[in-house]
Amino acid sequence: MRTIDVIRRSGVGISPEQTIRDAATIMEQAGVGSLAVIEGEHLVGIVTDRDLVRRGMARGLPPDARVDMVMTAPVVTIDADDELHHAFALFRTHAVRRLAVEQDGRFVGMLTLDDLLVDLAADMADLARPVTAEILFAHHDNPLPARA
Amino acid sequence: MQASVGDRIVIKGHHIGDHDRDCEVLEVRGPEGGPPYRVRWGDSGHETLFFPGVDASVHHFEHVN
Repeated sequence: MRTIDVIRRSGVGISPEQTIRDAATIMEQAGVGSLAVIEGEHLVGIVTDRDLVRRGMARGLPPDARVDMVMTAPVVTIDADDELHHAFALFRTHAVRRLAVEQDGRFVGMLTLDDLLVDLAADMADLARPVTAEILFAHHDNPLPARA
Repeated sequence: MQASVGDRIVIKGHHIGDHDRDCEVLEVRGPEGGPPYRVRWGDSGHETLFFPGVDASVHHFEHVN
């Protein structure tokens, strides 16, 4: 399965010169917890709601501080056509909860650990169904025919 | 996905109780109506780049020239 096939949410981008207040408002309006920071056509960072709290509020930055002051850069990226096992490998080797997905070098969306967990949970439920059925509705073999 | 300036994009709520969200397409930056789109969010008027996923749908409107 390709990485692009498991992205569940739209991606939202913000410019580096926009403010952290803008970022917070956009997150609220778009219903997302992270924004891609895009300069021109290039992804230059990611800012999350956690970044706004830890790097913004906790350090006393004013609401009109630029968003690139609190963003995470460089960004761990994955190609949209990469197989999903590559995403697992990246999550394993980097302490991140999101991967920026790019196609032809351009940002197209965000793959989150939550996306993968939801898929895995659904797969596990599918796998457990026949086992559950066997436990709840035990199969009884027909008795052997009586010998004459 | 294809959109035109003036179209509305609706993003479905992700969790139970979440309301749908929408934004207006101000500029189409991809080829042939494709993403990304520069959009304006309804309440605040903030503008962002939007990269639609499976949770988004475009509502086309008749455009009067």
